[in-house]
Amino acid sequence: MSIEIKLSRFNRIYRSNEPLEGKIIMKLTSSISFQSIRLTVSGTVSLQVRGGSAGVVESFYGVIKPIPIVRNKIFEIQSSGKIGSGTTEIPFSVTLKDPKEENREKFYETYHGSNVNIQYLVTVDVVRGYLHKSLSATMEFIIGSEKNNLPLKPVSPEMVFFYITQDTQKHLLLPELKSGGFRVTGKICTQCSLSDPIVGELTVEASAIPVQSIDIHILRVESILFGEKIVTESSLIQTTQIADGDVCRSMKLPIYVILPRLLTCPTIFAGPFSVEFKVTIMITFQSELSKRHSPYDPKTPRQWLAMESVPLELVRTK
Amino acid sequence: MGLEFRRRDYRAEEQSHSLPRVPAESHPLSAPAPRPCPSPSPSTCQVSLLDDGKDDFFDPLRSVNGKMELSANILQHEDIKSDKTVPKEIYAQSQQKEWNSFTKILMQRFPVSKTISISLVASKDMKGSKANEKSSKDSHLEELDDPQKFAEDVKVISQREYVSRLLELKDEIKLAWHADDRVTSLRLSIKVARLLMDTTTVQFYPNLFVLATDIMDLLGDLVWNRIKKRAEFNEDGRFICYLPDNFEAADICYDAKETCNNWFCKIGSVRELLPRIYLELSMLHCWRFLLDHPMDSLQRLVMMIRGIADPLVSAYCRLYLVRCAQRLPQRDTGYLIHCINDLKVQLLRLISARESTSGNFSGNSILLLSLIEPTIEYIIKCLFKDLNQMEIRSMLEALGMRRNQSDSFENCSCISIILHHILKELPLGFLCSNSFEMLHLIECTDDFSFEQCLNYKLLGFRLCERIPEVSNVDLIVEKIVQVISSYNCLDAYLKVVDAYLDIIFENQFETYLNGILDGIFHGAQEDEIGENELASLQSIFLKLLTHFANIEKILALNHFIDILDVMYGSSRNTINMHILSVATRNGCVQDPTVIEVLFEISQALCDGVDFLNIRKDDYQHPAHLISRFVYMVDYGPEVEQHLTFLTECRAAFGSMSVLQETLIHSSNNLAVKSIRDGNNNINFIKSCLAFNEVTIPSIHTHRRQLNLYLETAEVALLGGFVSHSDVLIDAAVNCLRNVEADDGLLVPGDVDGITSLICKLCGIMVMVPGSLEQGVACIPKLVLSILDSQSWMLPRLKIKVSCAIISLSAGLTQNPLPYHASSSEVMGNDKLFFGVPAYPQELLSFSAVILQKIVNIVLEESSMAVRGKLALEACNSIASSFTMSDEMLGVSSKLLEIAKSCLSADDKYLRLTLKLLHME
Repeated sequence: MSIEIKLSRFNRIYRSNEPLEGKIIMKLTSSISFQSIRLTVSGTVSLQVRGGSAGVVESFYGVIKPIPIVRNKIFEIQSSGKIGSGTTEIPFSVTLKDPKEENREKFYETYHGSNVNIQYLVTVDVVRGYLHKSLSATMEFIIGSEKNNLPLKPVSPEMVFFYITQDTQKHLLLPELKSGGFRVTGKICTQCSLSDPIVGELTVEASAIPVQSIDIHILRVESILFGEKIVTESSLIQTTQIADGDVCRSMKLPIYVILPRLLTCPTIFAGPFSVEFKVTIMITFQSELSKRHSPYDPKTPRQWLAMESVPLELVRTK
Repeated sequence: MGLEFRRRDYRAEEQSHSLPRVPAESHPLSAPAPRPCPSPSPSTCQVSLLDDGKDDFFDPLRSVNGKMELSANILQHEDIKSDKTVPKEIYAQSQQKEWNSFTKILMQRFPVSKTISISLVASKDMKGSKANEKSSKDSHLEELDDPQKFAEDVKVISQREYVSRLLELKDEIKLAWHADDRVTSLRLSIKVARLLMDTTTVQFYPNLFVLATDIMDLLGDLVWNRIKKRAEFNEDGRFICYLPDNFEAADICYDAKETCNNWFCKIGSVRELLPRIYLELSMLHCWRFLLDHPMDSLQRLVMMIRGIADPLVSAYCRLYLVRCAQRLPQRDTGYLIHCINDLKVQLLRLISARESTSGNFSGNSILLLSLIEPTIEYIIKCLFKDLNQMEIRSMLEALGMRRNQSDSFENCSCISIILHHILKELPLGFLCSNSFEMLHLIECTDDFSFEQCLNYKLLGFRLCERIPEVSNVDLIVEKIVQVISSYNCLDAYLKVVDAYLDIIFENQFETYLNGILDGIFHGAQEDEIGENELASLQSIFLKLLTHFANIEKILALNHFIDILDVMYGSSRNTINMHILSVATRNGCVQDPTVIEVLFEISQALCDGVDFLNIRKDDYQHPAHLISRFVYMVDYGPEVEQHLTFLTECRAAFGSMSVLQETLIHSSNNLAVKSIRDGNNNINFIKSCLAFNEVTIPSIHTHRRQLNLYLETAEVALLGGFVSHSDVLIDAAVNCLRNVEADDGLLVPGDVDGITSLICKLCGIMVMVPGSLEQGVACIPKLVLSILDSQSWMLPRLKIKVSCAIISLSAGLTQNPLPYHASSSEVMGNDKLFFGVPAYPQELLSFSAVILQKIVNIVLEESSMAVRGKLALEACNSIASSFTMSDEMLGVSSKLLEIAKSCLSADDKYLRLTLKLLHME
């Protein structure tokens, strides 16, 4: 006996104003009777605060009460009846957002972060009375922003110029790096449509020490209102290398980073929480020291690293 | 009535039997004069259509009309561009084929040793992919913690192991894909792409590239097919629409686009640059599902490759980019130019690094360059694939290879190796009209990536292909002379000279020639002549020989013989042979000094070729050339001197039997010439005959000896030296006896040859005076007895010889004889034995013996058809030699019976023979 939900779209992406459509597929070895078949739709923002960044260990660790977006909305698909053995498909179509009903929360886009998770689930239950266990299956579906509320794509993305030299670094550099000097310039976009890549360009104009690698890190910055305080934590989403080895000087290298789905969402500033993003350009120089350490921790400045971070506003566009 | 020879009147018979003769107006084999053609026939119409250049086939044998070819080329290019006409599939197939052969050559070019070292990281990627069934996110995170990434530990594994592991990976990818586990397929493909980051064993890199890109291609195809299927069928497998080859992004449904987008997202999440580029390249053609003009992506990828600092890795990555770009329907050269320019920047860096360090790294960077070279070659080939003249100009400008307004090349930054391949690909027409500019470009491009002189050489050779179109020839020749005069290295000097020699000739700058030869001579005094120098010298000499084609002029060239003397080995032999063939091509060689030089050259050739350890065919050529030279020597009236020369040749070239034969022919010629001239220098003719008598026995085979003895015997008869001819004929018969002792089996051709020589002997015997003491039929008898004892003699040939002997016997009894020796010294048998009854008697009785045997010989033949023919042949011979008699009729009728039993009744030959006999 198996039951599953199959959504009409294979990528499972729905806008909040669109009906959620699909089929309930049951494969039965013998016929059963049921009291009702119902779908439950729920959407929540779950928040979590980990110790460390706020400093007060004992009280901070724990899950904060999730914020509901859709509160277990139940749809009865079929009332009592009987299903024969074999495969049965029951189509359904339910509205997520009742235009008459004012939702308390906005339909945020699905997002899987480290401290903030925005998730939408649909569950089917075949209720079979007290003696029988009900059959059920759950499936995640993905919410995208409503199309008609979206801004148009900007003609050219907002760009910011950056200069990275030994003097722009706030942390301690290797002596030879500090004395020899380096200069890496370029530009990168600071506002970016989620469907577009982050673009920009970068040039190594000079460097006394050979470059080992240049990487673009995308980080999320999640802030949660916890009591009186705002707990902020940033974590790495994706690293993209754009230079491998000691590249030629004065050669323009393209920055082209495709944003990972689900791990990113439009930048959110809600009352109890916010999700922001930033980009870090990190240059790793060849050094004996660097071999002993992991090169991909963008949060800890090391002596053989040079970096520059810029905020990144992600938007959903038409 | 006994056997009796028939009386014959040969002259009357000849006249009555020969066909009427009419003198011919022209030689039957000469080409017919072109007939005027009033209206073009359909076939010529077609030919002229083909000539218009619609057809891309260029017949190299057609007149070398430069312009024609050019226009044909341009047409061909246009054809490719408007490739709507060319089915894309065929185009793609040819591209694929080209690529396959390229990769094959690439792998052969860089064979690898048995073991290779790979970096530890790569080795981790190589093993245990199956066990590693974590989600891509996990493995991604795992990489983040991988501190080994930059460790320089090296592991050694066998090459076979590596290759088989790659093939295994390929199978695993396929398997996973077909099991709908596409994530695993992708993950394994990323692994493969990651291997390309490892350059621990650079020599293995081309091989690795071929193997890995094969896997990348596989992945690309799998993804392409999957998206295409998504576009053509919906999720339930229902058919939506058929996607034509030239589909547009608008034809693709949302789902398929989403799938495609997903793939690019997945690739985009790969951290390392190189694998990310390779993967996107493998799926480059999939951009077509999303965009109508995927060229932007291509341009971006070109830029992304700049981030790969390792010149080898990035060069091969560009190669793959170019290969993948060919899968797109659009043709564009912009990205290729960017590729080459980027490559140039990287190579410049390599070169300057080398120049600053010099020493240790130099060997390494040369190896690196040789590994990179094929990629340059391929990319530049693609660049020139469909360009026209105008585009070439702007392209060269884009590559920084064109003169700017200020008329200087100061900012021209080209690299020899790139220049080399561009020179290779530039269309001839362009090179010819911009030759001086190109020369200048070479002049200011001199770095270690490629020898400058080789670029000069290449340009020279290419210009030589179409000399009439070369502009500023005088400037070019002047420049080249200037360039080579500064060379210290003979090898470079020769290479450049070799390349421009044709241009120098073609434009009558022969004044330069002596200077150049001087240069070669002095260079050769100082430098050692190695393989390279020899090859160039050989080519230069060949050009000189072909150009002048006159041995006196050639020998008059500055230092010709001196330079020839520095050559050795097979090159020397080749040149010697060419000199001989040039010298003997235009008639006789008369100048004594030329003869002397050629004799020395022949001697050198003879010494140079190891006649014992050489294949027969190879041996033939020089031997024939020398004998041709000996044969063409002509001292005019100085016959004695000529004979002396022949004697010298015999001493010098004793090992060559072809030449010995020539000597005999020549000496016979001399004798005949002397006889004809009538000055009847008896002693000289005798010396010639004696020369032959001494020389013939040293010839290897008895067959050839037989021929030469007979030839000399004829000459002796012509001169009236009966005793000589007797001796020679005896010797000939002796040879016949020993024919079987020759090496090797007698092939049918040889046997036929011997038989006709016997017939010739019979013909000569008519003129030779006999002697009663020895018996007039002594020689024929001997021949006959030899025949019986020879195992190789076939019945067919025995009959031929028997018939010839019967005819000889019949002929000898005629009065007058059918023909006489021209010399009055030789008395014919008709006069010698006039009225001697024993003479015809002996011949008759001898013939009777043959007649008795002849039926049996015929019966020896196994084939019925042949047997019938033989019987008729014998019958005819008997009928024409003897008068009707019982004995003769007895034999004839037996033969006829045989013929009738073997042949059909209406066989023409049989009927004619019957008629001949019944008419009597």
